[in-house]
Amino acid sequence: MIAKRHIVLYLMPAVIFTLLFFVFPLIFAGYISLQQWNGINEMVYAGLDNFKLVFQDPVFIKAVINTLLWVAGAVLLHIPFGLLLALLLARQPRGWKVFRVLFVLPNVISTTAIAFLWYFVLHVNLGLVNNILKLMGLGALARPWLADLKTALFAHQLPFIIYAGLTMVVFLTRISAIPAELNEAAKIEGATNWQKDWYITIPLVKDAVLINIILNLAFCLRMFEYPLLMTGGGPANETVNLGLYMFKEMIIANRYGVSMAAGLMTIAVGAVVTGTTLALSCIMDRRNGI
Amino acid sequence: MRWIKELFLYLVSFIMLAPFVWLIIASFKTNRELFAEPFGLPENWMFDNYIAVMTRHPVTTYFLNSVIVSVVSTLLALLLATLASYIFTYTFRWRSYWQLLLVGGILVPTNAFMVPYYFIVKWIGFYDSLFGIALVYAGISLPLSVLIIKNYMNTIPPELSEAAFIDGAGVHRTFTRIILPLSCPGVVTASIFLMVTAWNELMYANLLTQSEGTRTLQVAIRFFLTTFQANYPQAFAAMILAIVPSIVIYALLSEKIIGGLTAGAVK
Repeated sequence: MIAKRHIVLYLMPAVIFTLLFFVFPLIFAGYISLQQWNGINEMVYAGLDNFKLVFQDPVFIKAVINTLLWVAGAVLLHIPFGLLLALLLARQPRGWKVFRVLFVLPNVISTTAIAFLWYFVLHVNLGLVNNILKLMGLGALARPWLADLKTALFAHQLPFIIYAGLTMVVFLTRISAIPAELNEAAKIEGATNWQKDWYITIPLVKDAVLINIILNLAFCLRMFEYPLLMTGGGPANETVNLGLYMFKEMIIANRYGVSMAAGLMTIAVGAVVTGTTLALSCIMDRRNGI
Repeated sequence: MRWIKELFLYLVSFIMLAPFVWLIIASFKTNRELFAEPFGLPENWMFDNYIAVMTRHPVTTYFLNSVIVSVVSTLLALLLATLASYIFTYTFRWRSYWQLLLVGGILVPTNAFMVPYYFIVKWIGFYDSLFGIALVYAGISLPLSVLIIKNYMNTIPPELSEAAFIDGAGVHRTFTRIILPLSCPGVVTASIFLMVTAWNELMYANLLTQSEGTRTLQVAIRFFLTTFQANYPQAFAAMILAIVPSIVIYALLSEKIIGGLTAGAVK
């Protein structure tokens, strides 16, 4: 048992911060989303006009779709790539520790710097990609990757998909917890490496998949640097996502109410996608009788 | 079969790291060399670009700003999180609800709070100051720090604090003499996570500052893109100056950093 004043003393600082940075902002964002406001003049009550406005705004719809495509890129490309790397390194080939450190390196460098770097890697004239294509005699494929309507979306997600080091380490940590007897038994039964991966490792890292989905989901919802720095949301709003939409509405259009209506929708998208993921994982667990 | 796997690993390393190598080589070239031969080595390895960046831009100020913001926000979040986590090792009424309140923020995409954070910082008078940014970072990272430290404190056997209690130690003494020293590894893990996120954040550093004196490195990188429009090698040199500190620290502490970054996930 513990005295009340001690609880208050130790708990209150953190509670005050949580109220200031999570509870109040949520309420305040909800309030602003109902106002017409440019941040300086008086607020004018606008009811649900801001929400009507964003739902009729094709750029907002595009932003929602692109945000979901970021999540899809994470689930369908980034995480499987991270798993593949983890499976390869889990067999501890020569120099696996070095590979592990190298693969995580880009995750330690800021997304701002990576965005800047890949802006040049994909640059029309200077870019690494176009020049490699020219060297290989495939100059016809060279294009302004980030300015081409067909490729911009994928091109500006490319660094995120490739730099899967952190995702890989989460898998590796889980794989190293698998009891060695399982793999030894499989080896005695004559299983190949790929069979061991498919029938033992992959089913046992399912909870790591869930963790990786949730972590990368948070990353994708917060994503802001790549669209801002690599494409500025262009060409023709092709790469706008929710983070950039909110930012532009607030800073450039000075429509604070619209920005926060979009902000609440971002939170809603996050809640829906997280909820769906958790529900799906529950259903899959039950099917497998766990 | 084995050589295919090894080749694949080398190929992946190449794709991941070639851009960085290319950037380093290009930062030693002149603008003309870069456009004439994007892949060639520079005719003479010159530091002119680096000197130009260092003399024309207060890179050291940006760097110090980033250090101050990361350190202050980390210390603040650690202080709040250790205090709260410690009290969660006791049982009291509504404990799980308080935990939910403090940890629940993990699932909120905090860039949705652009407008509220901007005005909170403005109202309390820290707009365009490093402390304002640090305050927001501490707030944003608090849920995860509480989670990491609380999970670590849960692994400390309760017998230890019971023994301290029997020996006459009060709540404060048990905290400073028993729990805090023992949770050092958990606190280190959390602080690595906090430092890396604070160091790399762009949006709020950009939103909450205005003057050049309060720019962090990340905001500065953003401006390099526009300021050096005509002279790419100089932009590359600026960029390398900005990322070298992260790479050096990672090279020295890679195992600890990898552990810290995945700590939130493993539990």
